Amino acid sequence: MYATERARVIRQYLEEHGQAHVHQLSAMLGVSEVTVRRDLERLEARGFLTRTHGGAVLNERAGAGEIAALVTSPVDEHLDEIATVALHMVGDGDVVMLTNGATSTRIAQRLEARSGLTVLTNDVTIALSVSVQQTNRVVMLGGDVVAQERAVFGSMALSNLQRFYVNRLFVEVDGINDRLEVSVNSQEKADLILGAIDVAKETILVCPAERFARNAFYRLGSVQMAQRVITNTFVEENYKTALFAHDIPIYTSVAAFEGSA
Amino acid sequence: MRTVPARPTDTQHSSGIVARLVDVTKIFPGFALFDMSIDVRAGEAHVIVGENGSGKSSMMKLLAGWFPPDAGKVFVRDNQVGFRSMHEGQSAGVFYLHQDVQTCENLSVAENVFLGRLPTGRFSILFDRPRMIRECGAVFQRLGIDFAVETPVASLGYAERQLVAAVRAFVSDSEIVIFDEPTSAMNDGEREILFRIVDELKRDGRAIFYISHRLDEIRRVGDRVTVIHKGRIVTTEACDRIDHEALVKMMTAEVRSDRYPRLEQTVGPTVLSVRNLTKDPILKGVSFDLRRGEILGITGLMGSGRTLLASCLFGLAKPVGGSIEINGRAVEINTPWDAMAAGISLIPEDRVENGIFRRHNLVHNVTTATLNRFLRRFFLDERYMEELTLEYAEELTIKPGNPGDVMETYSGGNQQKVLVARWLMNRSHIYIMDEPTRGIDVAARVDIYNAMNDLTTKGAAVILISSEIEEILGMSNRVLVLEGGRIAAEFPWRDASKERILEYATGDR
Repeated sequence: MYATERARVIRQYLEEHGQAHVHQLSAMLGVSEVTVRRDLERLEARGFLTRTHGGAVLNERAGAGEIAALVTSPVDEHLDEIATVALHMVGDGDVVMLTNGATSTRIAQRLEARSGLTVLTNDVTIALSVSVQQTNRVVMLGGDVVAQERAVFGSMALSNLQRFYVNRLFVEVDGINDRLEVSVNSQEKADLILGAIDVAKETILVCPAERFARNAFYRLGSVQMAQRVITNTFVEENYKTALFAHDIPIYTSVAAFEGSA
Repeated sequence: MRTVPARPTDTQHSSGIVARLVDVTKIFPGFALFDMSIDVRAGEAHVIVGENGSGKSSMMKLLAGWFPPDAGKVFVRDNQVGFRSMHEGQSAGVFYLHQDVQTCENLSVAENVFLGRLPTGRFSILFDRPRMIRECGAVFQRLGIDFAVETPVASLGYAERQLVAAVRAFVSDSEIVIFDEPTSAMNDGEREILFRIVDELKRDGRAIFYISHRLDEIRRVGDRVTVIHKGRIVTTEACDRIDHEALVKMMTAEVRSDRYPRLEQTVGPTVLSVRNLTKDPILKGVSFDLRRGEILGITGLMGSGRTLLASCLFGLAKPVGGSIEINGRAVEINTPWDAMAAGISLIPEDRVENGIFRRHNLVHNVTTATLNRFLRRFFLDERYMEELTLEYAEELTIKPGNPGDVMETYSGGNQQKVLVARWLMNRSHIYIMDEPTRGIDVAARVDIYNAMNDLTTKGAAVILISSEIEEILGMSNRVLVLEGGRIAAEFPWRDASKERILEYATGDR
């Protein structure tokens, strides 16, 4: 069983039981205790649990409260890895904007590790998620609510945007093809993103590896609209090569190092 | 045997051209030389300058017969030649003195000098040892070399061996001598001797190509200079007509350091403090600090002491002076085991020679530095070794990444990632990476840069040693420039530029 699958099992177990012992998990997963400890270290680094002597406990905030229950999306390691990289690009006190999407939602949850942030978003789930973070402030754009996206779009959202100055804009996109053209699922989303890029100092494209070599409905433009791209480490090699050749730094979620002994 | 061949100049071609490349093109994997035309005259030293990887050595190897051109012609005197090997080149009078020391360890200095042309007695075909010693002594005296001719070469340093090889070129009757960065490891005295050898060769009417990295050598030894950039000739000029600044500009590629995945990490406290580190004959009092979460870029020309510095920090070379502190405590690093115990890992330059076990499999290659971790009583937990190896392989996208893969089937990029995996697994807090991306594909480079971020975001510190200035500018928080074994400059990355680095690296300041 690979690390990703083990992590999923451990998280489920912790969500049900609140705590777990290393030897239990080792027996359950059929791997050595050392491996389990390593998995726990990783999950701790991701803010999901706290290690204790001989085991781990679930972090309260991750499970507690109605809002948390509402915003806890199914665990997806791949999105989580991207969120870890994104978190490293955010400094205390930044004005961050997140456009709607599942990866952005993971990033929003991880922003708890920073303080003094102002988070701007069109995503209802993200707004709720950041609103429970004590040291960060969230501003929700106004506009037409689109139910299946749980987000707002339209001209009102766009004119709202004009009032802000954004340090870092994280744009979650739905496709990047082999000509490095970026696309998203709806025209409203495309309009909102283009408006946001205008007010942002830096644009960071967030695109899970599975969405490469794919076109979504609406073409947003060339990848060169962004200053950085974040994706998973297993993205096809030709995209790593092509982005580097086009002078766009590509940040991948390498998580090999287990920390200093 | 002629110790000092006299070369009547009237036999030369009227223009004096001894060797010539005409429109030579050669495609290598990932690199190419395009339409190169260059010549050298009798009694002339033609200097070739260019960045690392610009094609200087490759061009000269085409002349020396190491490989044939794909298109274009090579002439020696007026004859078109098609050498099939370096030996054919050598017998036709092309002596290529390359960067790797090419002396025979077990023989004496004199024997190395006269290798292949040992003197015989007047009336016999037997080797005349006293005559060899006598003649070698005479040559050394003429060139101002003061080491004993009967010393075994094994006891000489790298730079001294380079001199021995240069003297071999001098006593050979080769008409064309190619020097490939001969002074890179030499001190001032040794450099002077080398320059004297070049002068004597010129006086003797031989034709010299002199590859150099150092701008100050151009005027000292050269008559003409050719600048190469990315496999093309930029210009050929008389040495006294070209100005320094223009040269730096021509050598300098467009820098695209924005494409590197830099993370602006806040750095922590000092983890490594190096004071006055000295190692003869190169390192002269190197001092610097390294902070937690930082990528410290160290660059410099060949022979500036980059790799030696790494060797000293990892216990592969023993400094003669200076101190090293880790987390504020003085440490003695005499062996790599000391270094590892102190939390230092080195991913060495030249993975083929210093790292990869080519005939071993992925699991063995990845786990070899951390076997203790897998030790269960008296056995290695092979299942755990394999499991952990596969996780690292997955994270670093080592392909194909099966446990039994034998390393010699892997590309350079994948081999390099295997080495990165090996040392990441060691869980050190200081990582020295010496030329970590040299000669590997772009995708693997991207992976290695992101692995560096993985290290720094988890609290390790990285020393990135590289001759690739763009990479240094793209990834480092701070940049140190080594020149002649000293730290010539230190810049925060925002203040660093290729021009400024080169200015200090070439000893121009």
